[in-house]
Amino acid sequence: MCSIPENAPPSHRRASCVQVERQTAAHDGEGDACRSCLNKLDAHYTDLLNQRLGQSQALEVLGALSAGVAHDFNTLLGTIVGHAEMGLDELPEHSPCRQNLQQILAASLRARELIARILLFSAPHQCRRITVDTVPVIQETLSLLNSLLGPGLRLNFSSDLEYAPVSAETGHIQQIVMNLCINAADATDHKGTVEIRLDLTTLGDTPEERKPGVCLSVSDKGSGIHPDLQERIFDPFFTTKDLGMGSGLGLSVVYDTVTQIGGHIELSSTPGDGSTFRIYLPLAVEKENSLKTSTAVDRNLIDFAGEGQ
Amino acid sequence: MTHVLVVEDDLQFRQMLAQMLKLEGHTVVVAGDGEEALQLVTRHKPRLIITDILLPRKDGIDMIMELAQSGIDTPVIAISGGRRAISADFNLESALLMGVKSILKKPFNRVDLRQAVSVALAGR
Repeated sequence: MCSIPENAPPSHRRASCVQVERQTAAHDGEGDACRSCLNKLDAHYTDLLNQRLGQSQALEVLGALSAGVAHDFNTLLGTIVGHAEMGLDELPEHSPCRQNLQQILAASLRARELIARILLFSAPHQCRRITVDTVPVIQETLSLLNSLLGPGLRLNFSSDLEYAPVSAETGHIQQIVMNLCINAADATDHKGTVEIRLDLTTLGDTPEERKPGVCLSVSDKGSGIHPDLQERIFDPFFTTKDLGMGSGLGLSVVYDTVTQIGGHIELSSTPGDGSTFRIYLPLAVEKENSLKTSTAVDRNLIDFAGEGQ
Repeated sequence: MTHVLVVEDDLQFRQMLAQMLKLEGHTVVVAGDGEEALQLVTRHKPRLIITDILLPRKDGIDMIMELAQSGIDTPVIAISGGRRAISADFNLESALLMGVKSILKKPFNRVDLRQAVSVALAGR
């Protein structure tokens, strides 16, 4: 029979199943069972691809819309901010109106941030990637987040990697880490520990497609996500947070960013028992000598090369 | 004090920017599109141009190119509506290569404006 661990990642499940199918093709009975298993997996993959296509189309429409309105919206904000600031400059120091103008400025700045986030959808082809070492970027982002997310929450980063280059912008990695950690913090009411791990992995479903990658996982022991909601969690403006507590853009920004830089994202979640988001990104292939800065990565790269042959 | 030409199609934003510049001690002349701006450049000879890029009739890019072709080297500050790319083949980096001295992203405050003006007029 085709026995595949329930918790194995889809790529492993499919690879294992193909392997078993080949091994058992000559044996009546078991081959049928495995073919049935393969058919189920194919249906699962078709559904998954359709979901991703739907998400991509939604993001594309949002991108076109946001590009169109952003300029006009920022012009309106510019007028509001400009007049509020000039008003503040004219008012005496103890005028009660100062607070009103300061609130207008604060709200305008929040609106500007929201537009900036929406604009991330508008021009996916414009990102200019460089080779970014994800390890220090993740560490620096977590250090910033530690002070922002409150003393009750601990962000625990662990990795055996000293150097894990991917082809992206530094801002991409920061966006991914920030949004996933903020999401985890909200799911745990800003209490407990969020585990962040970075590991080497293999990407690709078939031996031909195999390539080295990194897996960034962010796990919390929070409220978890109901299976019915998991399909929609990456949709723009979808949020389970209370009104005013979230824009519903965080995870869709993560989805869009990860897709832009050639990766993919997986979610495993149990309601009441927490969630784990796994981001899979291809490792940037660099000149041999630049990778020698880390023996850990060198060793793993050699292993990957061996597996592919 | 500097004589500044503001090119912006949104009336309210244009008035606000003109007021802000006047508070900074500059004199201001305004235009609503690139075509009008080119006429005012010849007539008023501003020492600084602050222009939006997306404009009716003649946009900011064409205006900047025509100024360069006419040998007019008035420093230009480009205003961006927030998008990094203005069109498929023109982004903010391209604007800097075309001789734009500084870029202001809407919404900006007086400090941002002061800095952009200072950068644009440096060495003049």
